[in-house]
Amino acid sequence: MPTFVYMTRCDGCGQCVDICPSDIMHIDRVYRRAYNIEPNFCWECYSCVKACPQHAIDVRGYADFAPLNHKVTVLRDEAKGTVSWKIRYRDGRVKEFTFPIRTTPWGSIKPPTDYRAPDAAALDSPMLAHEPEALMIDTLPSLPPLAAAPG
Amino acid sequence: MVTTNPFAELTVLLPPFAMQAYVVLMVFAVAIGTLFDIRHKRSAEYFLRARAKSKEAATRRLNGSDTFTLFAKFMLIDVASAGEFCNPMRRISHVLMFYGFLLYLVTTLVLVFGYMTPGTQAPAAWPVLWNIGALMVMVGGYWFFFFIRVDVAKERQSPFRLKRADLFIVSLLASVTLALVWEIVQFAGYPTATRIVFGIYILFTTLLFVGVPWSKFAHMFYKPAAAFQKRMEQANGASDLPSPTGRYEGR
Repeated sequence: MPTFVYMTRCDGCGQCVDICPSDIMHIDRVYRRAYNIEPNFCWECYSCVKACPQHAIDVRGYADFAPLNHKVTVLRDEAKGTVSWKIRYRDGRVKEFTFPIRTTPWGSIKPPTDYRAPDAAALDSPMLAHEPEALMIDTLPSLPPLAAAPG
Repeated sequence: MVTTNPFAELTVLLPPFAMQAYVVLMVFAVAIGTLFDIRHKRSAEYFLRARAKSKEAATRRLNGSDTFTLFAKFMLIDVASAGEFCNPMRRISHVLMFYGFLLYLVTTLVLVFGYMTPGTQAPAAWPVLWNIGALMVMVGGYWFFFFIRVDVAKERQSPFRLKRADLFIVSLLASVTLALVWEIVQFAGYPTATRIVFGIYILFTTLLFVGVPWSKFAHMFYKPAAAFQKRMEQANGASDLPSPTGRYEGR
């Protein structure tokens, strides 16, 4: 379900432009309001929907999932640590959901800058940066070595 | 310099009536431009339709006291302190421009209509306030233009890449900047330069007020209406936003 912007609500603050991981939220050159330049490339992560302080970004549902004329809005409340969704279907039914923004306390996850910078030897390791420490486990499970092929 | 009415010196160039007629013409230009803008963009029609839909969807009836409280909040937060802006820098810049422009506008009206005849000298406070207003617009405006403007700050475009969306800020900044330049040149005693700068100042001031249908000048009329409508919808239950229950799903 790609996102789109209500230009009458958008105040052109650019927070969606900053947060979009796909770099498809841009500022309209004439009206200086945000818009999704390529809905086909939308990852549907809804980062922009949650980040928009004006609640100007909505979700365009797929017809089989949410028939036309529906409305999806989201409210991100950092103080309460919740993300709430409201779906209004075209037959008038309304569904509301509230989820926690995260399940671990704020500040409990170390940012990458708090980890020791990897050295050049780490390039030979199959692990990603800061693994396995960042995953909070001692070792990563690994497959047993392949048996030598017969013959 | 800043304690003298800069418009009083104009009497050697133009009769007071000409300046006063120009100001009246500009007021008419803003009024006509705003009406044209409303009709062309059909914003009033959109607004009234949204208001009717909101009334239909309302789950709570607001009484007079509720409406008064909402109106007070709207005036204090949305209008007086530009509460719509989430970015504090943008909010400060807007407040500087808003109050600076009001001060500049009111003092211009007072100086042009009250103290243009040769015998009447304006109290020093009026020209000082005129200068302060223009400086506030310039501080807030240039800060916005070079550092906060969304295409510059977020899209990393050059601040000098201008589009129609910049008509308002460019004409506003050019108008107040040239007003101060004109004042300086005038008091420095360069008659030819004074006339040239004054001509460019009037050109950009005219562009600011006559360009209403193509610029965002009219936002100062419809933005407050939209902000008040938003507050009404939040209060009467017609808002589309979720109402968090405090309980999580699946728990």
